[in-house]
Amino acid sequence: MRWFIDSMLGYWILLLAISMGTAAAVYLLWLKQAAFSG
Amino acid sequence: MFDFVIAGIHAPIFLLVLTGFTVGIVGGFIGVGGGYMVTPALIVFGFPGYMASGIDATHIAGKAVISSIRHRQLGNIDWTLALTMVGGTMLGVELGVRLLNYTKKLGIAGVVLLACSVVVMFFLFLYTQIETRRAHKKIEEVADAGQDVGRELKTSTLHYFFQRIPLYPIVRCRTARVVVSMWVVVLIGIATGLLAGFLGVGGGFIRVPSLVYLIGATTHISVGTDLVEIVVSGGYGALRQSMSGNVDMMAVLFMIVGAMIGAQFGSIATAYVRGPAIRYILSYSLILATTGALLRLLYVLTGQKIEFLSFFAVVFTLGEMLFLCLFIVSLVVFSVRHKQGKRVPPWVPPLVVAAD
Repeated sequence: MRWFIDSMLGYWILLLAISMGTAAAVYLLWLKQAAFSG
Repeated sequence: MFDFVIAGIHAPIFLLVLTGFTVGIVGGFIGVGGGYMVTPALIVFGFPGYMASGIDATHIAGKAVISSIRHRQLGNIDWTLALTMVGGTMLGVELGVRLLNYTKKLGIAGVVLLACSVVVMFFLFLYTQIETRRAHKKIEEVADAGQDVGRELKTSTLHYFFQRIPLYPIVRCRTARVVVSMWVVVLIGIATGLLAGFLGVGGGFIRVPSLVYLIGATTHISVGTDLVEIVVSGGYGALRQSMSGNVDMMAVLFMIVGAMIGAQFGSIATAYVRGPAIRYILSYSLILATTGALLRLLYVLTGQKIEFLSFFAVVFTLGEMLFLCLFIVSLVVFSVRHKQGKRVPPWVPPLVVAAD
């Protein structure tokens, strides 16, 4: 776990996972029903 | 509850504010827009292509006025260069808006805009990568030779060729210290104006490198002069897009709110984070945005039947914005901790501004 903070590559991967995961959750839980519908 | 309808599409307010905020951070930090991300992002979020371009152009015009005033105070504007380019820029914007309206009439505006954005963002990714590496190498060479690294670092000699083109009239730009044929400047104006009018962007990402590499102006003069052109291209583009029914003012309003907050934060962040760090982050976020736009393009081209393409397009585009914001915010937090003498990861110190 420490590697995700102490290594720049690890930190990038961690942030990328958080960002993409949040984006996927927002899409599935909210946007799919609330938006993109005519 | 938190959405409203634009051209038949339910548009969540937070997406518009987040898009504005992300572009605001990039603009506030680097000085050059980030509008090239907005049009494809809005299309990915479900906006019609022509509307995405119109909203982008309108929100950019407001931002550029504020930034130009600041650059004028700093003496970063070459008015001779700016006014010489204005005619070409306006002609280019007019051509760009006409081209957009033509694709709108054919019903292919979204596809064409996405395809152009994918190409532009991919080349920008390559350019940022090559340029940052080249600048690093040059800095190391200068430092190894025991010389002082000045404010400006010339890595190209291409401008000597363009400055020698003997096409009259020749303009003398005193602030930029450049003597060049008017036609070279006008042609740059037309090309960047065309992109601005069509994609709804400010065009700074093409204009600034053109002024630096083709004309030979310094980077800070190029950024200041470019902002004057964005006021013209954004203002004229916004007017023409509004006349064509491509703008929704509610969407513009929410984006400007996000952009204002983002720009303030971006400006504050410059005191904590070094420029090269942001350029790298921007470069990698560009490849995510390109992937998002490419997936949406594939989704549209395959008849909007393969649902996972649309899903991943949103995940990449929204994820890229969150990634960019999270990285900058966390670097500011690390920088504050570093200044207070607290422990930070070993890779952080070279990227943040040293303690006072």
